[in-house]
Amino acid sequence: MAEQEEQQQITALDAPVPGPSQTERAVALARLLHHECARLLQLYKEKETFSSDHTPDAGRIVSLSPDSEEPSTEQQVQLLHSALRQCLGLIHCVILKEEEEWGELEGDYETMRKNVRLRLEHLLSSTKVLVETENVTVEVTPDHQCNEETDGAGGVFGLKMWTYRVLLELVHWADHAAQTLHVLHTERAGTEDV
Amino acid sequence: MPRSKPNWSPLWLTCVLLGLTAVHAIDVLTVPQQVSLSANTSTQQLAISWLGGAAATFDLMILRTEFNMTVFYDTVSATVNRESGRHQWVWTSVEPLECTSLSVRIRSRDGETTSDWSHTQILQGNDLPSYEKIQVLPQDRIVPVGANTTFCCIMEEGKQFGIIKYGNTVMHETRLSRRSYAVTAVNQGLSSQSGTNVFCYDKLKSNSWGSVVFVGYPPLPSDFVCETHDLISAVCRWNGGRDTRLYGKRGTHYTLNNRKCDFSSTQKRDEWRVAQWEGNWTLVATNPLGRHVLTDSAELRHRVRPVAPESLNSAVHAWNATVQWKYDIYSSLALDCQVELSSQGYKTKRTFSGLGLRSVVLSDLEPDEDYSVQVRCGAQQNFWNWGSWSKPLSFKTNAYAPEALDVWMWINKDYTAQVIWKPLTRRQSHGLITRYEVTFWSPEENRQRTEFFLPDTSAVLINLTQIATVSGDDKVTATVIARNAAGVSQPASVHIPLRLTDVEPGPVARAVYTDSGFPLFWQRGDNAACAYVVEWYEASCKWDCPVGWIKVAAGTTNVSVESADFQPGVMYDISLYSITSEAPELLQRWQGYMQELVPSASVSLSTTQQGSDILLAWGEIPLADRRGFLLGYNVYVSSGSELTLLANLSDLGSREYTVKGLSEGSYKFTVKAYTSAGEEAGVTASITLEPYTDWLILEILASMGITAVFLVIVTFVCYKKRKWVKKAFYPDIPEPKLPGDWSRSQEPLDVKPSPHSLVHMVERPEWDSSKEVLIVIPEEEENEDGLGDEPADTDEPASLRYYNHVADERPIRPRFPDSSSSSASSLDSARTDVTYTGIQTSGSSLVFQLDPQGSSEGHQPQADLSFCRGGGGGGGGGGGGGGGGGYRPQMQSRAPSDDTDLVSPEPFFEPQAASSGGYKPQSSWHLDSPVEAGENDGLAPSLGSPTSITSTQFLLPDGEEHADERRSSSAATWFTNLLSSTKP
Repeated sequence: MAEQEEQQQITALDAPVPGPSQTERAVALARLLHHECARLLQLYKEKETFSSDHTPDAGRIVSLSPDSEEPSTEQQVQLLHSALRQCLGLIHCVILKEEEEWGELEGDYETMRKNVRLRLEHLLSSTKVLVETENVTVEVTPDHQCNEETDGAGGVFGLKMWTYRVLLELVHWADHAAQTLHVLHTERAGTEDV
Repeated sequence: MPRSKPNWSPLWLTCVLLGLTAVHAIDVLTVPQQVSLSANTSTQQLAISWLGGAAATFDLMILRTEFNMTVFYDTVSATVNRESGRHQWVWTSVEPLECTSLSVRIRSRDGETTSDWSHTQILQGNDLPSYEKIQVLPQDRIVPVGANTTFCCIMEEGKQFGIIKYGNTVMHETRLSRRSYAVTAVNQGLSSQSGTNVFCYDKLKSNSWGSVVFVGYPPLPSDFVCETHDLISAVCRWNGGRDTRLYGKRGTHYTLNNRKCDFSSTQKRDEWRVAQWEGNWTLVATNPLGRHVLTDSAELRHRVRPVAPESLNSAVHAWNATVQWKYDIYSSLALDCQVELSSQGYKTKRTFSGLGLRSVVLSDLEPDEDYSVQVRCGAQQNFWNWGSWSKPLSFKTNAYAPEALDVWMWINKDYTAQVIWKPLTRRQSHGLITRYEVTFWSPEENRQRTEFFLPDTSAVLINLTQIATVSGDDKVTATVIARNAAGVSQPASVHIPLRLTDVEPGPVARAVYTDSGFPLFWQRGDNAACAYVVEWYEASCKWDCPVGWIKVAAGTTNVSVESADFQPGVMYDISLYSITSEAPELLQRWQGYMQELVPSASVSLSTTQQGSDILLAWGEIPLADRRGFLLGYNVYVSSGSELTLLANLSDLGSREYTVKGLSEGSYKFTVKAYTSAGEEAGVTASITLEPYTDWLILEILASMGITAVFLVIVTFVCYKKRKWVKKAFYPDIPEPKLPGDWSRSQEPLDVKPSPHSLVHMVERPEWDSSKEVLIVIPEEEENEDGLGDEPADTDEPASLRYYNHVADERPIRPRFPDSSSSSASSLDSARTDVTYTGIQTSGSSLVFQLDPQGSSEGHQPQADLSFCRGGGGGGGGGGGGGGGGGYRPQMQSRAPSDDTDLVSPEPFFEPQAASSGGYKPQSSWHLDSPVEAGENDGLAPSLGSPTSITSTQFLLPDGEEHADERRSSSAATWFTNLLSSTKP
């Protein structure tokens, strides 16, 4: 039931809404994505019997190097957009590798995984509208080739750990997106008010 | 080998032989050389090879290098590779070979003789310092269900071992080396879709890694078979069998006749199509845990399964239809085709055969009916299997004339009747009924009249009385036909009698319902019945009842009546009629219930007390409420919440019961009617049994009678002993004593209430002191007229006058001397308003004894109480027998006489007439006659007349002139008599 409500909420958010609250809509999308990524991570941990103290010790998969030390909010959103593209590439790669490993399955995890991918694509479309200008063009395609070796010696456990890391990365960047877009929304809303 | 020239001396020869033997022994037990190790980590097998000379057996020792712990030590027989001449032996390790370094040593053995150990060969494990990171081995192992697998964890350099978990289970570890630890999962169960994880943590859980093991089944497909649809290609199908729990790249792979079946992600993995029929088929299913082979072999014509017919169309008529379809590829194949016909939710299958069959004729269809057909075919020869069903084809047959109706009748008591018929079902009407046509005709008179009715009509009301008046026939025939768009039905007729008789054919039998309905039996009749009709309806229905009926062929003598309309608890009347050319004749009647229930209503109960008995009476339960054949009534008495059966009355005609011999109190009685299904709820009536009122009345009457008798006896005794009574209760009043001379005083006495009365009470010693007498001394004379002028009723003491009764010259002689005080008391009393009544008391009355004999003790004192008007008598004689004008008793003046004299007023009149004045009983006073008052010379002051309370009489002045008037007043006389009669 709760998931049905979420689905309706998703549909409403995904619908093109004209008006000035594009940033607000992007913030809502990012928050929803964060919620779904957290849920996806929870489903994965349950499926793989990963205990709560089992945390990969590797660093970030997706990392950004801002051009300036103190980027503006728009620049931060551009960086965020870039990170989200990498995240989209990673979730694409996870889906590809998992289906290769275990075939196409239809469980709760697989359904949520598909939702996250779609939500991430929509969030990228939303942030593109926010950051794209005449001089700045951004893409919404996945930025990952999926040809990298997964963690470890290529074993299934390595793939699982890598997938775990990707899911953690998605949670992190979805949360980051929600915060950054909220800052942008706050700034733009203040400007519009003025 | 050292050799020497021959020395034929025996000693030398012996020495040579011994030396040769020693040299030979040294040559056989050569220490194994060039030992090499070859590890297969996936199978955990270690292949050991060496050059071992001529020895056939070897001692093999394998140790964990780091802890120098032996894991294998045994004597083995190694095979020799003829090409390389190397001995080889394969050892399978329980743990993965990488878990820790293994040392291998070999020595030759010949019996008990062994060579030296070879140089130790070491298989390096992954726990060498050069492998710093944490590792879990083996990785991605696939094992069958029930297997045992040993995992080892090589801790990261510098980390302390923590735990190893198999899934969620913490395992017990074995230390293999400084960094390597092993656990063994035994009897492994099926893993999840993504395998079972094995985790290894350091002590601080800051570092972890793991492995995945897949536990599943080898493939086990079944039911492999190949067939052809188009007589060219082959389609092979099989059942995949149990879920191997291995998916993706570990899932089952299939090859068909050595050709790989590449299924797409959306394709079912249990069917594969081959373009050409090959006759022999081999399916191989393979997964990492095993393979399974299935084969099939058949000729093409033996495996024909036609495809579904396509493009079905139909040619439709009323009772049949032709269905066609396209089937070009089977033109040369003899086919059996099945047609599934669906109508009204029912499906039937019909099979047709023919070479290249492409059309069938479906007969025996119903007119105006919707049908749906599907067709499938199979090879007629070497039938293998039916092909798939075609898509359904729907059509509707044409309409046709309706079937004949089933007509019957119902006759009411008032000679109205209904012609009724069973509505045609959809199957019977063969099309939409447009109307019904009912024709009434009389065969003898050859007259007919037709009426038309709407399609929803099933009954027509007719008035038999009206028809009978215009028809001389004894029946009228009603013929009914139904019409639809395609035509009219065959006519159906019923003869309706115009002359009804109420003659019952016989007693009404009772029909008992069974599973098949009401079984009815009857005798074959003598009449020429062409059929019978069994009719039924609810027995409680009286008017235009819903009737059910069935027609039974002639010659039948039994039938079972069943109807979906039969309801439990409803009585049905069932009648058997014979159908002839005349009106139907009632042959027999039954009554029955489909199921008897307890009555739905209770009787109306009343209670009546009959002395100490109680009569219970109740009414009859209406037929509709009985719901079964009544078997009787149960009479209960309630005691608290319990019912105690008093009587079981099986006589239905008697609906009363008397409960006898009850004591006083409240009772509750319950009467319940019962059928074979049980008794109804019952009705309760309460009654309180009260004492019998007749007895009470009798007791009252008896008491009154006894009282009356007692009174009579007392009265009689008193009468008989009246003298004694008088003496005892009413002794004579002493005579007043006059102190002065009363002889001259003939004037009226004016009694003044003055305390200075001249009346003196004289005490008489011989008399009771309580008996006082008055001695009145006249104060002054007064005229008679003056008296009459005075008010009749006054309080003035001076106006009250008491007249001297003395009419003659004799002095008034008081009978008894009296005291002055007593006189004064009397005068005092005279001053009050009630003086006149008070005077009459024995102690205070003014009494003048007229009768000298009255001094006698036996004289009745009260009888002598009387007042006279002074002077009024004009010298009337005194009392007693002699004198007029004196005082005389109010009711009797003489000595006691018989009762009749007392009762009658007449004796008073005579002496009164003789006297000039006196008193008469007050009752003769004409109070309301002023005339009379005037005629009485102002004597009217009747209100002033003293009244005796005791006697309830007024003392009235008497006179001769009133004698006649008194006689004329009979009512007053009667009253007087009555009052007089009450005085003894």
